Amino acid sequence: MEKMSRVTTALSGSALTGRTMHCHLDAPANAISVCRDAAQVVVAGRSIFKIYAIEEEQFVEKLNLRVGRKPSLNLSCADVVWHQMDENLLATAATNGVVVTWNLGRPSRNKQDQLFTEHKRTVNKVCFHPTEAHVLLSGSQDGFMKCFDLRRKDSVSTFSGQSESVRDVQFSIRDYFTFASTFENGNVQLWDIRRPDRCERMFTAHNGPVFCCDWHPEDRGWLATGGRDKMVKVWDMTTHRAKEMHCVQTIASVARVKWRPECRHHLATCSMMVDHNIYVWDVRRPFVPAAMFEEHRDVTTGIAWRHPHDPSFLLSGSKDSTLCQHLFRDASQPVERANPEGLCYGLFGDLAFAAKESLVAAESGRKPYMGDRRHPIFFKRKLDPAEPFSGLASSALSVFETESGGGSMSWFVDTAERYALAGRPLAELCDHNAKVARELGRNQVAQTWTMLRIIYCSPGLVSSANLNHSVGKGSSCGLPLMNSFNLKDMGPGLGSETRLDRSKGDTRSDTALLDSSATLITNEDNEETEGSDVPADYLLGDVEGEEDELYPLDTEHVHPEEPEYVLPQEAFPLRHEIVDTPSGPEHLQDKADSPHVSGNEADTASLAPVDSSSSLLSVSHALYDSRLPPDFFSVLVRDMLHFYAEQGDVQMAVSVLIVLGERVRKDIDEQTQEHWYTSYIDLLQRFCLWNVSNEVVKLSTSRAVSCLNQASTTLHVNCSHCKRPMSSRGWVCDRCHRCASMCAVCHHVVKGLFVWCQGCSHGGHLQHIMKWLEGSSHCPAGCGHLCEYS
Amino acid sequence: MFLPHSIEADHKDLIHDVSFDFHGRRMATCSSDQSIKVWDKSESGHWHCTASWKTHSGSVWHVTWAHPEFGQVLASCSVDRTAAVWEEVVGESNDKLRGQSHWVKRKTLLDSRTSVTDVKFAPKHMGLMLATCSADGILRIYEAPDVMNLSQWSLQHEIPCKLSCSCISWNPSISPAHYPMIAVGSNDSSRKAMTKFQIFEYNENTKKYSKAEILMTVTDPVHDIAFAPNLGRSFHILAIATKDVRIFTLKPVRKELTSSGGPTKLEIHMVAQFANHNSQVWRVSWNITGTMLASAGDDGCVRLWKANYMDNWKCAGILNGKGSPVNGSSQLGNSNPSLSSNTPNLQNSLHGSSAGRKHS
Repeated sequence: MEKMSRVTTALSGSALTGRTMHCHLDAPANAISVCRDAAQVVVAGRSIFKIYAIEEEQFVEKLNLRVGRKPSLNLSCADVVWHQMDENLLATAATNGVVVTWNLGRPSRNKQDQLFTEHKRTVNKVCFHPTEAHVLLSGSQDGFMKCFDLRRKDSVSTFSGQSESVRDVQFSIRDYFTFASTFENGNVQLWDIRRPDRCERMFTAHNGPVFCCDWHPEDRGWLATGGRDKMVKVWDMTTHRAKEMHCVQTIASVARVKWRPECRHHLATCSMMVDHNIYVWDVRRPFVPAAMFEEHRDVTTGIAWRHPHDPSFLLSGSKDSTLCQHLFRDASQPVERANPEGLCYGLFGDLAFAAKESLVAAESGRKPYMGDRRHPIFFKRKLDPAEPFSGLASSALSVFETESGGGSMSWFVDTAERYALAGRPLAELCDHNAKVARELGRNQVAQTWTMLRIIYCSPGLVSSANLNHSVGKGSSCGLPLMNSFNLKDMGPGLGSETRLDRSKGDTRSDTALLDSSATLITNEDNEETEGSDVPADYLLGDVEGEEDELYPLDTEHVHPEEPEYVLPQEAFPLRHEIVDTPSGPEHLQDKADSPHVSGNEADTASLAPVDSSSSLLSVSHALYDSRLPPDFFSVLVRDMLHFYAEQGDVQMAVSVLIVLGERVRKDIDEQTQEHWYTSYIDLLQRFCLWNVSNEVVKLSTSRAVSCLNQASTTLHVNCSHCKRPMSSRGWVCDRCHRCASMCAVCHHVVKGLFVWCQGCSHGGHLQHIMKWLEGSSHCPAGCGHLCEYS
Repeated sequence: MFLPHSIEADHKDLIHDVSFDFHGRRMATCSSDQSIKVWDKSESGHWHCTASWKTHSGSVWHVTWAHPEFGQVLASCSVDRTAAVWEEVVGESNDKLRGQSHWVKRKTLLDSRTSVTDVKFAPKHMGLMLATCSADGILRIYEAPDVMNLSQWSLQHEIPCKLSCSCISWNPSISPAHYPMIAVGSNDSSRKAMTKFQIFEYNENTKKYSKAEILMTVTDPVHDIAFAPNLGRSFHILAIATKDVRIFTLKPVRKELTSSGGPTKLEIHMVAQFANHNSQVWRVSWNITGTMLASAGDDGCVRLWKANYMDNWKCAGILNGKGSPVNGSSQLGNSNPSLSSNTPNLQNSLHGSSAGRKHS
């Protein structure tokens, strides 16, 4: 509200109103200028020179100043300016070097008043004195600036910049005699109008041409300049040397710059090439524009604030032949659209997080950044209340590291390194891997290995002691498994939860029974998932208890749907079915179901510490009594592999695939296997587990994978003595007939790992070179080369 | 559970992106201050800035690492309408002694006429490829025909998306069964009804990317989009950051069933939707196995999401921006199984679970 009242007073009682609008011009505009009453705007261009009235809803053409049948070159305007004291007075700069003044008060159709033909080349800029009615200044491509008194026929004085073309001239608003001029060579000059012989001050402001400048309307001595180097700089000219106060980086060369009225730190810019938008910058935040107007479809050539005391209306003319009025509140705000946060998950589960300070500060109460220290004190002294500054935005960057053990991916690395995949009997491999998994607290995986061993190894090999050993270990920390399977031995406290859990699973299998083709998969899900908190959980080391907390809640939804369901009577009849009908080919359904249940049984047995040895033995005994060949389980195993893969544990899928080899390979299509292999290898390489990755490649049977290591690698080596390329004859140089593989440190011939510098060809034993380079960065051979070992 | 390390980033404006490299030992940040910084992890586990340089003449929106097989290569994109490819050069200068590395611009991609809003390298098996998207709604795919020459990039595809694009994500699957696929999100708020996320799939026969058929529509502005690492799954998981966090599964319908010429049909299900940020969600990021999702929203918090065995996604933790212990992070501790402190999450997870079950 305060802002509004200020505007009103400044506009002497009549606030500007209007909306964002545009009108089509007949030709591209080169420059625009606003009348003092803020109700009219003049548009000038190569073939246009018109005055438009700015009305509430639209622009209305009022006057076409381009009269005469044969338009002269004098009418081809590069710049136009409307006198800020005399509503009838206009001046244009023509591309042929003529400066023309126009008197709108003339009764004839032709309003042309005076013609100054003094410049030899294009006049780039004209400028009226802000307070003196008759003084006009021009700057031209020919390198001269001229000051005209409109009461006289020719120029009063000529200023020679002594440098290249003049791009802009601007009278200072506060200092009566001062004007600034900018040049194509990057210089800015300050002149006293009374002293045409030499400039008061000159400094290099930009790299390349300075296209424009603008004096701050309020702050005396503040000059904004814009150049082809895409920068807008704000200079303090009051000090002895021009001091750069701010530097705004835009994305294209700056063609025009205009301070925004009533907003001390704001300025509007437009570009000469590429970029069609108009930006309003807060010079204190030099990287992100405060506002952006995107209406134009071609380069914006002229911008002007409609009223010197109203910050909300901006007028612009463009090469796309349109004249626009922009309302500040309709501007798009890039700051709002910019993404304030960055987030990335690291390899080991660590998170990098960058967020805008203000988003984070609110919560943690940390003090926000205290602002830019480059500001002088006086500049900060009175902050415009109408212009709340959001502060220099900055981000807080932090990395959340997972504590070792708990949530990191170390389980993956450990597992990859410790698994045995080949070279031993299957039973041993399974036992070993089960042990590894168990030691890393991955009980479900351990259990899977144990089961695989039971399935695929003949019972003779299973020493019950061995098995019991591992089982005992597992059950000590296998709570989730236990409560999902072993109903019989469940304590009363846990019983309820488990029952619910179980019933939930059964709900699914019940529904699945309707669709026999889907049964297997569902059941498989059922079986595996019940213990599967584990693989999903180690990443965060999440609590099993937390999951348990979920069950009662979950099942409250499930239970009412199946109130009549009685649990224990399902598993056991099925179990007997296996024994009774071990291989009924016509009962596909049963067949599919039964191994699943028997698998469950094996699980139950092995998991229950109470009757572990006896029940386990009896179960496996029962299995083999019924002469179930391992093939019988292949469907189950296949689904288990798929399950692990879909869960994101491709390590397990590939490891089992390798360990079981032919036993299971035929059941899984080649493409899927290859997918698993390549995924796992990629993952191993991410963790820099090159040896494991190589082993996997070697052990893989997928052709596409195993050829990964067979791509040829050629090493081109230079002889370390004569520096010539070595022939293919090994480590003896053809030319100097010396052995090239001498260790530069110990001077012995290297056998085995040989490391050498690609720069100087010297090298030797890996250990020796590493040790040497710890102490010195020069080549151990003394050749002076700065070797690099990485 | 998480140890927060605050890093004095010293960027002079907002940081818009953080990115780890393939091995997780390097990190790159980019900011509106037009610079990129590269951070290396020291032996002691601290992050040191080893390079900082001005990259663009406007806000840098994204920075991303190429696979190390192609060298130490970064790509960045900016409001200045360009995307750039950078390579670290190992020199003998004293930079190295000061622990600084030197990055050289190898290529500026100038094709866009508006702000380039995202840039992503394609998965390694596709070769050295780069996708960019821009505010005028064009997805561009570049390829470096010679991986040793990073200054040569050819524009392979220009795909109009109709809407101003904000983010892209490649499908990382290495499976020969999955064709290259790229998801594009849009933050265009003007056209309300149009779907703000599209998937394009490469067609071997036409050698072109074409829009995959999706039934699911997301009409709110999308700020970030991320495919989960595939790791041998037969389906794809995709997370979207819009006014909430959404997780989708995309199951390719088996080839035999579809006509051979057309794009693969994708069966798409939303498996979770979380509005817990209570505001715009800006970022989503997957862990390495695709089992945990992290999201960051306007509330200044990072929330972690995880599926349990029933495919119920639920909140697994909350971290505030400073990493100081928030009420939520106690959930992560093994000692405290109580969820009572965070009932809304729980309800949401149940909500998510019911959604999951509907589709399963």
